[in-house]
Amino acid sequence: MEKLQFMLILLLSPLAQGIIKKLKAMMQGRRGTPVLQPYYDLARLFKKDMTIPGTASWIFHAAPYVVFASVLAASMLVPVFSAGGRPSGLLAGGGGFFGMGDIIAIIYTLALGRFFMALGGLDAGTVFGGEGSSREMTVAILVEPSMMLAIFTVAAASGSTNLGVIANSGNFFFSPAHVLALAAFFVAVIAETGRIPVDNPDTHLELTMIHEGMLLEYSGKYLAVMEWAHYMKQMLLFTLAADLFFPYGIAGAGAGAGIGIAAAGFWAGKMLALCFGMALVESTRAKMRFFQLPSLLGAAFVLSALSMITFVMTGK
Amino acid sequence: MSPENEKYIEVSAPDFSRKCAEYSRRHFLRMMFAADERELDGHFRVYAVFSPAGCDRFDILTMKLKEDNLSYESITPLVPAAHWYEREMRDMFGIIPSGHPDARPLIMHGMYGDVYPLRRDVTAAGIKNAVDLSREDGYSFMNVKGEGVYEIPVGPVHAGIIEPGHFRFSAVGETIYHLDPRLFFTHKGTEKLFESVGFEKGAQLAERISGVSSFSHSSAYCMAVERTAGIEISPRAKAVRTLIIELERLYNHIGDIGNMCAGTGFAVGYAKGAILKEELMALNERLTGSRYLRGINVTGGVTRDVFEDADEIISVLDGVKRGFKDFMEFLLDSVSHTERLEGTGLLSREIALRMGATGPAARASGISDDIRRAHPHLSYGSLIFEAHTYLKGDVYSRMMVRRDEVECSFSIIDSLMERRHEGELGTSINEIMAGRSALGYTEGPRGSIFYWIKAAGDGKPLRVKVRSASFCNWPLLSYAIHGNIVPDFPLVNKSFNLSYSGCDL
Repeated sequence: MEKLQFMLILLLSPLAQGIIKKLKAMMQGRRGTPVLQPYYDLARLFKKDMTIPGTASWIFHAAPYVVFASVLAASMLVPVFSAGGRPSGLLAGGGGFFGMGDIIAIIYTLALGRFFMALGGLDAGTVFGGEGSSREMTVAILVEPSMMLAIFTVAAASGSTNLGVIANSGNFFFSPAHVLALAAFFVAVIAETGRIPVDNPDTHLELTMIHEGMLLEYSGKYLAVMEWAHYMKQMLLFTLAADLFFPYGIAGAGAGAGIGIAAAGFWAGKMLALCFGMALVESTRAKMRFFQLPSLLGAAFVLSALSMITFVMTGK
Repeated sequence: MSPENEKYIEVSAPDFSRKCAEYSRRHFLRMMFAADERELDGHFRVYAVFSPAGCDRFDILTMKLKEDNLSYESITPLVPAAHWYEREMRDMFGIIPSGHPDARPLIMHGMYGDVYPLRRDVTAAGIKNAVDLSREDGYSFMNVKGEGVYEIPVGPVHAGIIEPGHFRFSAVGETIYHLDPRLFFTHKGTEKLFESVGFEKGAQLAERISGVSSFSHSSAYCMAVERTAGIEISPRAKAVRTLIIELERLYNHIGDIGNMCAGTGFAVGYAKGAILKEELMALNERLTGSRYLRGINVTGGVTRDVFEDADEIISVLDGVKRGFKDFMEFLLDSVSHTERLEGTGLLSREIALRMGATGPAARASGISDDIRRAHPHLSYGSLIFEAHTYLKGDVYSRMMVRRDEVECSFSIIDSLMERRHEGELGTSINEIMAGRSALGYTEGPRGSIFYWIKAAGDGKPLRVKVRSASFCNWPLLSYAIHGNIVPDFPLVNKSFNLSYSGCDL
């Protein structure tokens, strides 16, 4: 069962998107679309024909698959509700995929997806794709250090970069380093998921787009795959945040089905809380001016650096 | 012959540009247009309407041009505000402003052949025959050369549901060096149509020029017809028009302030603005049967006395007043939003003045010009109010001008409600003599709106010139956006609230 926990991310990520949209609508005094709307959208897109730009090369066709595959692969490495046994690696036959769940591997598997998404945006040969790609890479460069440093703080506290170990350690109670790293990680997640104040997922203003700009020329099945990958990436990052910073209620080795189900419930609760947090941030802030993003992301980096220093100095 | 605040000054063609330059020093150029008056005296005529600051008078310079020599010295080099007017005359009449710095067509895109639609002897069928969709469109955009400069073509089809317009940005990285907009993709031939529908039906046509300025347009049109006919409408009809013009301003300005939130991605602000706007539009519908205030204005008066519903107006506006106060407090407290507005899209007073800016855009750049005060009409002469100006000329100033004007509109409506307005709703209009002409004008939500009508012999207009606020303000966008970054363009654009339809008649 533990081996299939990534299925939760695969299948429930559109729901998380729907819940965020619903929460945002409620905060803005609108009725909003049904929470299942992302599923309907995906089903509709999968049925549609595609329009491919005349200038597109094989990269345009490959990008959706690479993006989806990289996110799916990263999902397999993350303990969703069960950290299983001691990490012994997939090849050793024990435990789950988490045996390979190295956090650095996860982050850079995601980076592969982003790289191809940016290439796909450029390959379409339109201005908005190129604009989106160039902005995405600018943001990525700024986000990555703070995200990695925040993760390293947690990893150092747990003595391993393996997510199974971190999530299973359970001894990581709130400490100054923990709080600082969480703040930095939260900003990084906002930037990675393309949400306000970094990017506006609901905009129709093509000149302001980052993530949407790269997808502008995709249609039909490719668009469905790209969108789904984006939903999954969002939930994957939420799960990472839960594993790293709230490692409670995760089932351990050889846990029974009952505990597994309870742990899944815990996970769902954490996801809801994060969805709420995202919706709240998005509804209370305006988007930042593009050239002020470095200050926000720079602040996140300072927070993560401080958390590392705090950890080294206080030892917890 | 003409209304008493209009003074026609005949100028010879060689003197025209010098005279215009002289007037432009102390006068605002309100509009410039041509008319084909060959059936009256065998000439084309060019008019330039100036009004001196602080004086209710229009000095209208006019010159005759013979059909065999339709060229004159362009005034644009001396009076930059004339640049689009002169290009418009060239496209619509074939009148050549020699020495105009921009030789490109403005309205007639490449598929039109050599046809001048507003000449009286050109028919709709003639224009249709001249159109050839396969003809090469030789339009050239202005180039910026240099290392790292690239062009961003946007539109004419946009991601959102808006009208067509093409924007050619020249940018280095994200910084915009130049914006060359190209509009007029959906030319409707409205001015030509006015000539055939007659004076009375023209009011309905004027209402349809620009959706959210329907009432201002029909008011200015009706006023022009009434002044041409030499009649004056009753104080009651004037008060109704004044009231509804202010109601139109209210829903526009509040909606615009909300729309700026869409430009910064501030969803809650946008939603709050939309709720207030909806309450006002629902009130419009209950008062007039039309959310866009159509069907009230007719030549000679109005169809309905909305003061009969005074209680309803007062109760709705009370709610909106409170809501608007909370809304503005909320917006001004949201630093993430206001921070995006400050210093963005700067339009200097110098440029606004020389390029002929109008409305909130002009007042946000420190130009104290409001047609309601400069040329008191309807009930405005008996009301006390200010022209609200800000000095900086950024997006924030344009929001604040609108905020002040919303409050001003509330107080104008309050004072109108306190008084009794006597008289009939409608006044009959006798036949209008050929050759008579007059201006009609008002201050709409986007700025000044001008109409000029000249009557022909057949009981129909010889020429109806429409000058909407957007026609003046569209070219300003290129100046305001210079040096800003590409993702801020939608925000700057929204702060001007320009109409495609109102510009492309």
